[in-house]
Amino acid sequence: MDDAQDLPQRPYIVIIGGGKVGFYLARHLIERDYEVTLVEKDPVRAEWIEHQMGSVSVMVGDGDEMAFLATTGIERAGVVIGCTGDDEDNLVACQLAKGKFQVPRTIARVNNPVNVNVFTALGIDVPVSATELLMELIESEIAGGDVVRGVAVNASGANLVDVALPDVSWLVGRRVSEAELPAGDLMVCIVRAGEPLVPRPEEVIKARDQLIIYSRRLDTDAVRESILR
Amino acid sequence: MRQQVGQQGNVFVNVIIVGCGRVGSGLARELDAAGHKVTIIDERVSAFSRLGEGYRGDMVVGTGIDESVLRRAGIEKADCFAAVTNGDNRNIMAAQVAKVFFKVPRVITRIYDPIREQTYREFGMETICSTSIVGSMISTYFTTGDNPAHAQPPPEPVPLEAG
Repeated sequence: MDDAQDLPQRPYIVIIGGGKVGFYLARHLIERDYEVTLVEKDPVRAEWIEHQMGSVSVMVGDGDEMAFLATTGIERAGVVIGCTGDDEDNLVACQLAKGKFQVPRTIARVNNPVNVNVFTALGIDVPVSATELLMELIESEIAGGDVVRGVAVNASGANLVDVALPDVSWLVGRRVSEAELPAGDLMVCIVRAGEPLVPRPEEVIKARDQLIIYSRRLDTDAVRESILR
Repeated sequence: MRQQVGQQGNVFVNVIIVGCGRVGSGLARELDAAGHKVTIIDERVSAFSRLGEGYRGDMVVGTGIDESVLRRAGIEKADCFAAVTNGDNRNIMAAQVAKVFFKVPRVITRIYDPIREQTYREFGMETICSTSIVGSMISTYFTTGDNPAHAQPPPEPVPLEAG
């Protein structure tokens, strides 16, 4: 898979919480050949998941019990994802993973969107609020913009900005090598008719291409403007 | 402005308590009776009935892990914060929000699970674990004959009258 090429190897992933989000996420990751352990505290639910997926390793236990977490092999995990429906449980599971098991990357599902800032302040690497993502999508649809959203890549403040080109733009018809973006912005992917392409220098940008820009600029609107101007 | 000094030179503090169970309600009544400014938070209105009629402090309905609920409870002026709901993780999160986000000077978290309590102490939180305190007190009573919870032994048992 291209998306993990920069990682030395596929990280082992522990998912805490086998509800709908945790279950589908685990299945998705396993289909992409990740090693995944799913932690679910309800034994009935855990059995159902095991029955559905067969290959996945489901463990019955509490994602915030240290002794139990130690049995999941969490100390060799590259990523831990707190995926339950309770923000406090996701927070504690991720803090234990980071503070006690030295897991390098923690991702927490945030159910109440106001907690995104709180989670960041409390050391969670990536807080993900489905509500907030949906709100951004809906608002950009309402605004009629071609823009989908900016996704924070990491704590360094870089963003991935996703811009759909209209029929007419200064970029349409140019080669990638001729597309001079402001300093600090980098075109990392072209999505054409739903298919991702590596932006090679000789590639000609077409109308309706979707460009993914990696930018250090905090102002994602400015990134879009430099594409759409 | 946070703490205030009363006429007799007593220091009165602004206290927020999250969770109006047995511990939270008892603590609220005690601090209120001593003249402190108490605000107690609980998700269920019915929980406030534990406070009794004499309680003069404030009550806020909501969850103590929600920033807006904490603001409504006046957390920006709080001197002391106790998280004493029945959920360990809820207490841990509420207390961290109070300490890290709102810089409340004195924050304490009640945690039932002794291992989690130890861990969060290591992470720099002020914690108290009723489970391990009670366990070690009972152990002390068994080995020394003295109950650390009471200075005096209980009175002679009163024989129950039949019928």
